[in-house]
Amino acid sequence: MSLVLLIARRVAGAVSILVVLSALIFAATEVLPGDAAGVLAGGESSQADRDRLRQDLGLDAGLAHRYLTWATAAAHGDLGTGYVGHRDVAAVLADRLPNSLLLAVLAMAVAVPAAVAAGLAAGLRGGRRTDRMISTATLMAAAVPEFLVAAVLVAVFATGLGLVPEVSLVPLGSRPWRAPAVLVLPAAALAVTALAVAARLVRASVVDIASAPYVEAARLRGVTGTRLALRHVLPNAVGPAVQVVTVMFAGLIGGAVVVETLFNYPGVGYELQQAVANRDVPMVQGLALAMCTTTLVVLLLGDIVHVLLSPVLRGRS
Amino acid sequence: MTAGRRSPATLVVAGFAATAVAVVALTGPELATGSPTAPVGLPFDVPSAAHPLGTDAIGRDVLSRVLHGGRTVLLLSAGATLSAGLLGAALGILAGLAGTRAGEIVVRVVDVVAVVPALLVLLVLAAGLPGSDLAVLAGVTLVSLPFSVRVVRAATRSVAVSGFVEVARARGDSRWQVVRHDILPNVAGTVLAETGVRFSAAVHLCATAGFLGLGRGAPAANWGRMVSENAAGLSLNMWPVLVPALLLVVFTVAVNLLADDLAVRWGEA
Repeated sequence: MSLVLLIARRVAGAVSILVVLSALIFAATEVLPGDAAGVLAGGESSQADRDRLRQDLGLDAGLAHRYLTWATAAAHGDLGTGYVGHRDVAAVLADRLPNSLLLAVLAMAVAVPAAVAAGLAAGLRGGRRTDRMISTATLMAAAVPEFLVAAVLVAVFATGLGLVPEVSLVPLGSRPWRAPAVLVLPAAALAVTALAVAARLVRASVVDIASAPYVEAARLRGVTGTRLALRHVLPNAVGPAVQVVTVMFAGLIGGAVVVETLFNYPGVGYELQQAVANRDVPMVQGLALAMCTTTLVVLLLGDIVHVLLSPVLRGRS
Repeated sequence: MTAGRRSPATLVVAGFAATAVAVVALTGPELATGSPTAPVGLPFDVPSAAHPLGTDAIGRDVLSRVLHGGRTVLLLSAGATLSAGLLGAALGILAGLAGTRAGEIVVRVVDVVAVVPALLVLLVLAAGLPGSDLAVLAGVTLVSLPFSVRVVRAATRSVAVSGFVEVARARGDSRWQVVRHDILPNVAGTVLAETGVRFSAAVHLCATAGFLGLGRGAPAANWGRMVSENAAGLSLNMWPVLVPALLLVVFTVAVNLLADDLAVRWGEA
């Protein structure tokens, strides 16, 4: 019962954060001076034109009123219509989301096992040469912005060696998994950064666990190598690992904007960047809200798994 | 946390590299002889005597654009780090000294900002303030702030419970005197180490913002945006992508190595 209560509290917390964030997104896009009517009417429009357009768009109503209208509709799945091409925001989101998720899942499939292996290898040899090499390499890889990783990958593997396409053009109505070659470089670029960041987190928690008394005891009993890693260190790292995965996923949501933009990959991040460039306010609001929701859901799931797996938290409530 | 100290040689090389790129970025506009915005030839022309790095997507001199394109990235990251550092230190010390309830409220507010992916904050602000470097500055500051507040608050709390703060309070020192004489000197190392880490993250974000076309728009030169502007011509002339990309890679990696060392030296002292 208390466990249910604890989880219910986390869900309520996430929902209230989402409400605050939706208000912030709305305020930032509507209050700040990027005036939608001015954009839509064009540079040579008269004041009267702009006023009429503002009225048509409902921009002359009060801010609080507009926010409530928008938020209520959003809660019912209606995110409005974009200014550019009059596309339904929710429909664009539904169409692009699977593409973005595919990219994220592919990147995770590569990065998670590699990060765990690298983090374990480094953490179990804390301070020694292997550790120093892995730690320096991951620090350097994590330092480089995703768009540079992607640009270097394109220069080498697409332009230089011609192995894969430079941009991920997907015909309208088709899906990227029908032409898997377009997925290789975007997924690899996302995976490099995610791998580096996650390997550092795994290493830190392995160092913590490896110095714990029960691991020391196992060492004194003569347990070493793979057995020590798999039987004594890894199971205790599950809690921190869940957090690593959630942090990674949250990072991928930001990274996706960059990588999708560079490759013209038809995902949510690419649409958001285009919407910002075109000052398409309803599209920006809807997609930003969707990304915040996704992040919160992932963090919440991670949190719940963490609570379920952690005896300390289970007992305290 | 971190794998021992790095060799002094690594740090010297990193320090030298970071300084060199910073000098190029800051003094570049003075050194450039050509215009960064005037077309001087065909698009994606290969290097020649007149244009040592060739031309870019619309035939502008790449060398001039490289020399002009670093200042924004560097100044924006430094500005955002400074404002986030000062604000974060002030809020963190306040939250650390205030009672648990007030402190918790600050942490809650900070947590809300911290869950949003950093780039999303930048994109939303850029939608509200199109073509403005101010949006990037505010965005990077906002994204950095939660980390500063958390670290400084934790450091302040651990100092606040130590004997000498209690002695100072019992002596009747004012709150401001306690902050100045007892708290600040003891959290300064943490703040410094934190600032290094924040600066490297800020460089990362400001470069990415440039790449995404946020901040002051075309035709101004920007290392991040040069990569996106010229990616299509990679097979014709790779220098307009490669030179800014390499400068940014060298700078971010060097700054990270230095910040990491700073964190080891000061963070755990």
